[in-house]
Amino acid sequence: MLPVLLKRKVLTFRNALLGLRGWKLVKNLLFAGVGLMMLAALYGGFWRLLNYLEGVELIGPMLSWKLTSMVLLMTFSMVIVSSIIISMTTLYYSFDLKFLFSTPLDLRAVFLDKALETVFYSSWTLILAILPYIIALGRIKGLDAGFYLAYAFLMAPFVMLAGAVGIFFSMLVMYLFPSSKTRDITWLLGSLSVAFVYVIFRFSKPEKLLRPDSLEIVAQYIQYLQSPTAPYMPSWWVTKAMVAYSAGNWAAFAVSAGVLCAAAGALYLLLYALAGRLYMRGFSGAQSSPRFKGRRDTLPEQRLAARWPGLRAYLTLYWKDRLSLSRDARYWSQIILIGALIAVYLFSIRQLPLDTADLRSMVSFLNIGVAGFVMAAIGLRFTFPAVSLEGSSYWLLKSAPITTAAVMREKLLVSLLPSLLVGFLLITVSNHLLGADLFVSVLSTFTILVAALAISVMGIGFGAVFPDFNVENIHQLESSYGGFLYMATAMGYLALLLGIEAWPVHMHFSERMGRPNPWDLRGLALCAGLFVALNAAALYLPWKAGARNLERHEV
Amino acid sequence: MIEINNLTKTFGSFKAVDGLSLKVAPGEIFGFLGPNGAGKTTTVKILSGIMRPTSGTASVAGFDVAKEPLAAKRVMAYIPDEPFVYPKLTGWEFLRFIGDIYAVPAAEQRRRIPELLETFELAAHAGELLESYSHGMKQKLLIASVLLRRPKAVLFDEPTVGLDPKSIRRFKTLLTDIARDGAAVFMCTHILDMAEKLCHTVGIIYRGRLITKGTVDEVKALTTAQGARSLEDVFLELTE
Repeated sequence: MLPVLLKRKVLTFRNALLGLRGWKLVKNLLFAGVGLMMLAALYGGFWRLLNYLEGVELIGPMLSWKLTSMVLLMTFSMVIVSSIIISMTTLYYSFDLKFLFSTPLDLRAVFLDKALETVFYSSWTLILAILPYIIALGRIKGLDAGFYLAYAFLMAPFVMLAGAVGIFFSMLVMYLFPSSKTRDITWLLGSLSVAFVYVIFRFSKPEKLLRPDSLEIVAQYIQYLQSPTAPYMPSWWVTKAMVAYSAGNWAAFAVSAGVLCAAAGALYLLLYALAGRLYMRGFSGAQSSPRFKGRRDTLPEQRLAARWPGLRAYLTLYWKDRLSLSRDARYWSQIILIGALIAVYLFSIRQLPLDTADLRSMVSFLNIGVAGFVMAAIGLRFTFPAVSLEGSSYWLLKSAPITTAAVMREKLLVSLLPSLLVGFLLITVSNHLLGADLFVSVLSTFTILVAALAISVMGIGFGAVFPDFNVENIHQLESSYGGFLYMATAMGYLALLLGIEAWPVHMHFSERMGRPNPWDLRGLALCAGLFVALNAAALYLPWKAGARNLERHEV
Repeated sequence: MIEINNLTKTFGSFKAVDGLSLKVAPGEIFGFLGPNGAGKTTTVKILSGIMRPTSGTASVAGFDVAKEPLAAKRVMAYIPDEPFVYPKLTGWEFLRFIGDIYAVPAAEQRRRIPELLETFELAAHAGELLESYSHGMKQKLLIASVLLRRPKAVLFDEPTVGLDPKSIRRFKTLLTDIARDGAAVFMCTHILDMAEKLCHTVGIIYRGRLITKGTVDEVKALTTAQGARSLEDVFLELTE
């Protein structure tokens, strides 16, 4: 039965490939090309890092393998958490499940099909992201193509194992608490655990690994390097197998690879057996909705609309979004991740080893770019999907007497205030931590507020240029072509913004260093003009393109 | 009044609607019949303003849906064949949402929404999230939302799918009431028996082209079948 189910996926993929013609094909090739460029840039970074580590006397080779084991451990943990979150959708809420359950297919075959889907969705981006690292590692160690084949062979049971852990957790939780409320709680726990792992990892100061002087005794450091990183985890088995391969120790490679494959096989056999007993109860429970008793109070927005009828459409859409988003755990649980991101960001700023006041002010200026990146990343998760989140209900707005521009303006209203607050918080707190001077503080605060507006407008604009009202979860939107273009454009915008402001900042530092007549008024005017032009373009072009596309979009 | 002139909609090289022209007068219930893929849903989507015509015009209450979409949308109501609604709103909130969007005065909403919920037997579920509603309950809620805003033209695409027999009977009565109040009703349906009993006029679309239109008796007269003729006989004969 499973081959029949897998065949439909192969056919779907083949049909999607065959459907790539004309502009669609060009778009996908461009997307793939830019993706490859990013992977190449990552490769360059990893190569430099590993080259440096490998060059450290005596302990170099140990350092790079230690780092590899840590990278694999992080990957393993991330795939587990991703698979918990994703399996809640794939195993219990996929569009096609009701159909599949109505067919005479074996329940366990359906389960395995969905389990493989979960493993794929929860691991492919991570596998792709660490690929440049592995290629760089192979090159630094001077290994042949066989190393990469061995790695590819090891990766399959590795991600299958990680996915199986997440799937097992979901299935058990849904069996014990068969309700759609469990899904919300699991999403919340998933976000909490990602945030926890992220914060703990950063607060443990991993940079110490690269600074042996921070450990008092050299022997202690070497002992740490030689010790296994989580010896009972599959990430360590993969590391051991890779070390064995690089040393030509085939017996050790076979043992580690064998343990990995045997563990994966055993876990899937266990899951297969358990699915027959546990899966149906969880699926059945997931179909029920939790009891909810809404009230009939007049909402604040409705009171405002009575006072200002001209704003009625915006206020109505606003309360609809406010209620919908606050009741959707998938959405608000992500706020925990943002909290973790901000905490780590500020912690990293505090840890920066900056000695002079000038250096601190200079970093405060460059910090605009980093804070902007954080805002763009948040925008990718919240602002960019805002239009698409209307989902199948979009027909209601399309057939209502509201312009698409009004819909976009309301979405902007929902996103803008949090975006401004996050930007303001990041910049003012980090300026305070860094002790930035008044000029840089004022400039960076003003710039981040303008950037928050531009990035939000771009998020809604790009979201309207690339709407997808049929997605099952936000992650599909984030990793889409449109999401990628949005991030790339936001990064380009921030780079240009910093480039334009670099000149006045240079004049300011020249003055601080006592250089005579540092201020060039014509230069300042030119920068101000470029600043206005850049922001006007950032505010106008994506918005205009989005409004036009959404107006033409047919549902 | 609904007026369609030489309407064409193409998707690539495929003509979904081909030179369609027809009128539905105020107070008239028009049944739009045709086999699957004939162009019914495309036509009703163009009329509702969620799809644009390739050529030709469509207007509702004198407003061209392509040139004056907002004015046209203010006076019409559309219910699609799949009742997708906001899953995280309650039934009560959904009706308030529709009322607010279509500028129904708040006092009128507070008076009429409980009545409508009672009429459609949804009062007990009004505080529940729509994600817990069945297909039929969502359909009833959408029909209630149409009645809340008193439109001049109503577009239904397979309105009785998922409704129980009692609700279908109530729907028929409401449809007659809506038309009696002066609204033009444009209804796509596969249920020929309902069309025959309820509609003043019917049209049959086949492969994008309107092959006949007239009163039910006029259309029935087109069949070559002997004895008691039905709309089904005509439909099957013309679309073979």
